[in-house]
Parts: sequence; C-alpha cells; structure tokens
Amino acid sequence: MNNWKQFSINGGILVLLILVPLITSRTDVLTWLYLTLVYIALSQSWNIIGGYTGQINLGHAAFFGIGALAARYIWLHFGLPLPLAVLGGGLASMIFALAIGVLVFRLKGIYFIIGTLVLAEILRLIFYTILPEADVMPMKLLGAYSLVPRYYLSLLIAVITVAVVYWISRSRLGLGLMSIRDDEDAAEASGVDTQRYKLLAFNISTFLAGLTGGIYAYYSAAFRAGGLFEPVWTFDAVIIVFVGGVGTIAGPIIGSVFFVLLKQILSLYLPGGLHVAVFGVLFIIVVLYLPGGLIELMTKFRKRTSAGDQ
Amino acid sequence: MILEVKKLLKTFGGLVAVRDLDLTVNEGETVGLIGPNGSGKTTLFNLISGVLRPDRGEIRFNGRDITGLKPNRVCQTGIARTFQLTKPFEQMTALQNVMIGRMYGSEPVLSIKKAEEESEKILEFIGLGGKSLSMAATFGMVDRKRLEIARALATRPRLLLLDETMSGLTPAEMEDAVELVKAIGDSGVTLIVVEHVMKAILDISSRLIVLNYGQKIAEGLPQEVVNDKKVIEAYLGE
Repeated sequence: MNNWKQFSINGGILVLLILVPLITSRTDVLTWLYLTLVYIALSQSWNIIGGYTGQINLGHAAFFGIGALAARYIWLHFGLPLPLAVLGGGLASMIFALAIGVLVFRLKGIYFIIGTLVLAEILRLIFYTILPEADVMPMKLLGAYSLVPRYYLSLLIAVITVAVVYWISRSRLGLGLMSIRDDEDAAEASGVDTQRYKLLAFNISTFLAGLTGGIYAYYSAAFRAGGLFEPVWTFDAVIIVFVGGVGTIAGPIIGSVFFVLLKQILSLYLPGGLHVAVFGVLFIIVVLYLPGGLIELMTKFRKRTSAGDQ
Repeated sequence: MILEVKKLLKTFGGLVAVRDLDLTVNEGETVGLIGPNGSGKTTLFNLISGVLRPDRGEIRFNGRDITGLKPNRVCQTGIARTFQLTKPFEQMTALQNVMIGRMYGSEPVLSIKKAEEESEKILEFIGLGGKSLSMAATFGMVDRKRLEIARALATRPRLLLLDETMSGLTPAEMEDAVELVKAIGDSGVTLIVVEHVMKAILDISSRLIVLNYGQKIAEGLPQEVVNDKKVIEAYLGE
C-alpha cells in the first residue's frame, strides 16, 4: 500500500518533470529546474561515498571536472555524438578514480579528507595553466542553442543517479558500505572487504559525478577548464547532502530543491557571492543541531501532526 | 584440532606482547583464556583474527595456514570475534547489524530477504527478538554486548573468540550471559573466551589456558589450573 503510494507519487513527479518543457517555455523556470536537477545528480553522487560509505571526499570537483572536460572534448573537439561524450565523461572520471583510489584510500580520517581536497586543487591549478583559454561553443551551436535538450539531459542523469542510490540503499552492497561508515574494524571483522568496497563506492560515485560533468559540458556556452575543478562544486554537493539528510535518498533531493531556491532568492538581495556565507552558516547549524538534516525535521513534523490527529 | 598456533611472536617496539606461543584448540571445546592485564590475551585475539600480523610464527585453522590473512578473509574462513569495547554499527538497526554478519561472513547468504529471516532468528536466540528494528545507537551496554555476539554468530563461525563479553554485568545479567555462552558452545561452535570474572570462566570452560607476559604459564582443567602455584603468583605476586 505504502509502497504503491510512494511509487505513484514519484512517478507523478517524474511525468510532470518530463512535461514541463511542453507546458512552459519560460527560461527562468527551466533554468531553475535544470540547476536543481544538476545539483541532485552532483550531491547524490557524493552521497554514495560521503553519506553511505562515510568517506568524506572533498575532491568531488575533480571528478565533476574530468567528466565535464572529457565530455566536452569528445563531443565538440572529436565530434562524436553527445550520448557517447557524456558516457565517456563518466568513464574518464571513473578511470581516474581507479588509478588514484588505491593511493587515496591509504589515507585515513582527516588525512583522507585533506588528501582528496588537495587532489582537486592540484588538478584545478594544472588545468588553469595548461588550458588557460576559455572553451567556447562554436557559433553554429550557439545560434541553435536551446535549453530544452539540456534540461532533459539533466533530468535523465538525475534520475539515473537517484535510481543507482536507491538500488544501493536496498542492496547487500549498501549494507556493506554503511557498515564501513559506522565502524570499519567491525565491518572488516564481519567479513566485509572494506578496502575493495570503499574503492567500489568511490568508482560508482565518481562515474556519476563524471556524468554530471557531462551535463555541464553540454550546457555551458563557455568555461575555463580550471573553473570546472573549483572547490565550490565539491562544497555545494557536501552542503546539500548534509542540509538535506546525509545517507538518505530523499535528503539530497530535498536539499537541492532548498539550496537552489535559497540561492536564487539570496542572490537577488545579497551582493555577489555573499549567499555562499549564508550556506556556510546554515551548514554549521545543521551539523550541530540537526544532524539528520531537513529529512529528520520533516519526519519529526509528520510524526507530530499525525500524533495530533489521533 | 581446529586451531593451531605455533611459535607465535609479536612485539610492539621493545615490548614483547606475545612470546613464542604454542597453543592448540580442539573442535567443540570451550577454552578459557586468562591472565593478568597486559598478558597478551587481546593481542592474541588480534593476531588470530588478522587485525595484527605476527612478527614470526604460524596460525593454522582447520589445517590451513591463515597467518597474515586480512580480517575479512579470516572471518570468511570461519573465525568470528567480538570486541572488548563493543563496536556496533550505530546508525543501523539491530537487524541490519546482524545481517552484515550473515551476508558477509562464512557461508554468506546473498539474498536480502533470506538474510533478514535468518538474522531475525539469531536476534531471537540472543534475546533481542523484540528490538530488531531499533537503532543500535539507542542500545544500553547489555544489549550492545548481545548484539556484538549476535553479529559474530551470524557469520556462521566454527571458532568464536569472545573478548570480555561479561565485564561490567550485574550478577543476574552474568548468569544469563553464562547460559548464552554455554548454549553457543552446545550448538557446536568452538569457543575461546577471554574473561576476568573467575566464576564465569570456571563455569564455562572445559579447559583453561593462562598467559603471563605473552607466554603460556599453565594449561589444563579449570580447577587444577586455578590452584597452580605459578598462576596464583602471576595474579597475586610472590
């Protein structure tokens, strides 16, 4: 019963999202939804390694960046079809994760966090240096630019990402990942190959981050390669996951909706970039006083209202 | 003979934690492992379960050399352990805690549904039947200890290492715990039990091994061993 209700609600939302471009051609609405979907994909992909597996990877931008850059090159500069390019972006990210993973997971705790952050920063500096020029879409494409296919690509990737996390959360793999998060020694003693599982989670997470980069490669008219590796790509995802509800499926979705909404409103009233400070404060408040995030708040509220009904 | 430890040596810097230790455990036995603080009991557990690598020596389980295997591989060969300081998966339910053992230990069950059913039974057996959907973080000390044993049992061990599961219990809780450990032994699981509570260990063990400064100083029937002069000296001083 409850499952059916959940299923029809989700299905309804999905159908609605598919229909949006047919109903309205307002670019502000489409852009807002597009951003929300990109953030859902980005934060949900981080949720796999950070939320479920408990490995606070602060180098997520690196994998978003590699995915975006690879997809852009495959699509524009090698002239291959877009789906191949996006897939290529995901694979490029994953291959990089595979190469770097064994090294990175030698680091534990705070050293892992610092190590991953430094990794992304190194890539950022390298790409600002070796590709200093802006990568601009050719005039032919810019002339025919439409937001609608970008929107649909972001919807597709967001749905894939959410589906993967949903599958993980109900699988043997997911239980194994959560056991690593809660106590690595106990997980290992219970037969979980923690090293292998951390790498597996890292690869799935980075593959999806790479796909998300592919959306941006298709969306952005012009960018500088180094900008794809800016820490903000990591921290937006981390903040969204924690504010929404870490290690849950709904958390990053609600977090993204909330984040984009707040960001749009704040950037109207606050001078440039100051909204980031607001998010920083919000993040601290949530971590200190609401470790379960908005999801927890909603569950509590629902319980209270249903208790009030009886 | 299910476990055979040969000439095992483990040092930490200048400190010798386990010194050329020989030890055998037969199938179906419940061996009590006692000794003063720092005598190497927990180090021995860490060596057997793969958390630590010995400097020298060999550990054979079921005739197979398991020296240097990683803990998860050791677990999958059929040796489970509990931790002295309990380590539950706090953000998971009791049921999920046990399911981890069931799905990843030796003879693992891969289907979620089947693992759930079997894990429920294990929780029932351990006395946590009504609490399977509670978060482990909400558990008090006694329940945490039970959960620790349940998770270890769920891996289907042939040899179970229990590290001070009874310390801190009230006499009544202790009696329950003794019965539980006996029931586990009766189900055919070989046990090595580290315990400081003498009454409990005498009650449970079919054989006692006494360690001091990482060496075996006595071994035999419980009543004989506790009256051994060397053992009394080790505990009380000369």
